[in-house]
Amino acid sequence: MLLPAFSLIRREYLRWIRAPTWVISGLMSPILYLILFGQAFDLGKLLPPGVPPSVLSSALSGAPSYFSYFAVGMVAFASVTAAMFSGTGIIFDKQLGILQRILSTPISRRSVFLSSLVFRGTLTLIPAFLVVGFALLLAHVPDVAGLTVGGGITVVDALQFVVAALVLSVAFTALFLSFGFAAQRIESYFGVVTILQLPILLTSNAMYPTSIMPAWLQYVVGINPISLAVNVMRMSLFGTAGYTYAAWVYLLGLLAWACLFVLLALLLASRALRSGGGPGGGSLSRAIAE
Amino acid sequence: MVDLVETGETPARPREVVVDARDLRMVYPPSKAGTKGTVAVDGVSFQVHGGEIFGFLGPNGAGKTTTISMLTTLLTPTSGRATIEGIDVSARPHDVRRKLGLVFQKSTADEELTGRENMLIEAGLYGLAGPDVSAHATELLTQMDLASSADRLVKTYSGGMRRRLELAVGMVHKPRLIFLDEPTLGLDPQGRAGFWRYIRSLRDSKGLTVFLTTHYLDEADQLCDRIAVIDHGKVIAIGTPDELKDSLGGDTLELTVAPGSPDPTPLLQAMPGVSSVTKVRDTYRVKCSNGESLVPRSVLGATQAGINVVGVTVTKPTLDEVFLHLTGHSYREEGVPNGPSSGSGGDGAPAPGGA
Ligand SMILES: Nc1ncnc2c1ncn2[C@@H]1O[C@H](COP(=O)(O)OP(=O)(O)OP(=O)(O)O)[C@@H](O)[C@H]1O
Ligand SMILES: [Mg+2]
Repeated sequence: MLLPAFSLIRREYLRWIRAPTWVISGLMSPILYLILFGQAFDLGKLLPPGVPPSVLSSALSGAPSYFSYFAVGMVAFASVTAAMFSGTGIIFDKQLGILQRILSTPISRRSVFLSSLVFRGTLTLIPAFLVVGFALLLAHVPDVAGLTVGGGITVVDALQFVVAALVLSVAFTALFLSFGFAAQRIESYFGVVTILQLPILLTSNAMYPTSIMPAWLQYVVGINPISLAVNVMRMSLFGTAGYTYAAWVYLLGLLAWACLFVLLALLLASRALRSGGGPGGGSLSRAIAE
Repeated sequence: MVDLVETGETPARPREVVVDARDLRMVYPPSKAGTKGTVAVDGVSFQVHGGEIFGFLGPNGAGKTTTISMLTTLLTPTSGRATIEGIDVSARPHDVRRKLGLVFQKSTADEELTGRENMLIEAGLYGLAGPDVSAHATELLTQMDLASSADRLVKTYSGGMRRRLELAVGMVHKPRLIFLDEPTLGLDPQGRAGFWRYIRSLRDSKGLTVFLTTHYLDEADQLCDRIAVIDHGKVIAIGTPDELKDSLGGDTLELTVAPGSPDPTPLLQAMPGVSSVTKVRDTYRVKCSNGESLVPRSVLGATQAGINVVGVTVTKPTLDEVFLHLTGHSYREEGVPNGPSSGSGGDGAPAPGGA
């Protein structure tokens, strides 16, 4: 029963291992942000001299420096950016008739979607961890701000960090996959994705603390899935005791988003896959347009 | 509609009905609001029996691919019913998909994968894996003359190699029924002959049932046990190639006599098997069911009557003539708008690769 889904994952894996280009392109903007924006925009430098570091630290969710605060935000941004590419494969498969061939076999429609979600969702974690590694490395470069984490990170902290990153990846992979199933052409797909990218990033606390925002923005930022994930990740890396309970609340909220996006994607995918796609795949797109 | 259905020897050998299409219709929704939808298939009924090679012959845009898509569960018919081995395609599509193999009109192999990987992944989609499956895949690749390129990426394949790979992929799960949408498109003459041999041998050794579409009259004639001629979404004739050709009144014998000879028409009309005689200058065109045997008889008869015969030819009817007779336009002219009745079939031809 799992073999058909595994075959699809194997196909995606083989394709990816031969041309892992999108990992590079997905990494581009987060890395640029880290070495340019993160270095230049050091909020800590705006404080008058003599202010104790704890003041800054408490405004930055316990991060020892602005860059450390910002770097964790970029981890989340990296996986969201990488997830933006997850829907493209579906569109090409549709246009090339490969999806039709898959649909003519007895594999269940749900497996087609879920195998994509599992593979793409996992892949999306790679850039996230590469960004962590890169930010940690920067700390060892003279005159460059880097990510420094608090001592005493426990296994639970590390696990929380990974789970938050994974749930965030799955949520956005599902969202963008559903756009891939719904879109007929790569242009319209990237149209939607580019429109969404900046608002999603800017309405989160990935780049600056919620406390400096106007109240109306704070509400939006509070429920943004990126904020939820970033909160958990910051607590795990810089956390002090007492944060744990809040972390679970954030994780739960993030999980709710993930469920919502997965359900939406399942709906759109099964709608798109139901009538299989006739000659040229035209009816496939029509099924979505109606 | 010419009624040639189920004549000849078919009732003598009662065979299992593998594909049963009843009044299938497909109307594509309009692409722009306010325009009318396209009637691609307009009430098509036919049956395909176990172990036969059944051909769907028709020009571009006739509705061949659409019919295949409905039979293979990729499209839901607007109306009508179809069963595969007794299973309804609309009610139980999942079970139907297990029963059949399908080769699409356009290449669907994954270019970034090797031929062998494409085959093994397809097998996996049917829940098949293991050494037996790999061995079978290798065997199929060898039969399709792809053994030496099996481990190259498909994007390095030539058009004909891709076509042959599609066939191998379609057979990897050993289906007993296979749909082939223009399987020999783009194959060289050698490749086509090889493919015909291969399909016949599968039919003979494994009892494979084949449903194929084709543009090629000679392919329909030589490869298929029975043919359905389809035009503008309607089946206009079904039968064996010979039945279809016989429907034209059989062979044509042309007898040319020396100028000034007496008229042989009464004599010819009296001969058995002759249905009509028409005169074109000094040539008498005789429609008959038994062209060859009429040659000696007519020449002898005419000579005895003092008629000087200077030439005689026999032509067998071709499917092209059948087509001309059934549709009022020759098969080869299809798509060239030269009259009110033609042109409408050609304008619907989907652009290759258009999505
Ligand atoms: N997805 C689609 N949406 C709308 N109309 C379609 C679609 N696919 C096919 N048609 C129309 O349906 C008719 C039949 O098309 P179909 O592809 O079944 O023909 P065909 O016999 O396979 O032709 P060919 O020999 O060119 O492959 C054509 O008029 C075509 O324009
Ligand atoms: Mg076709």
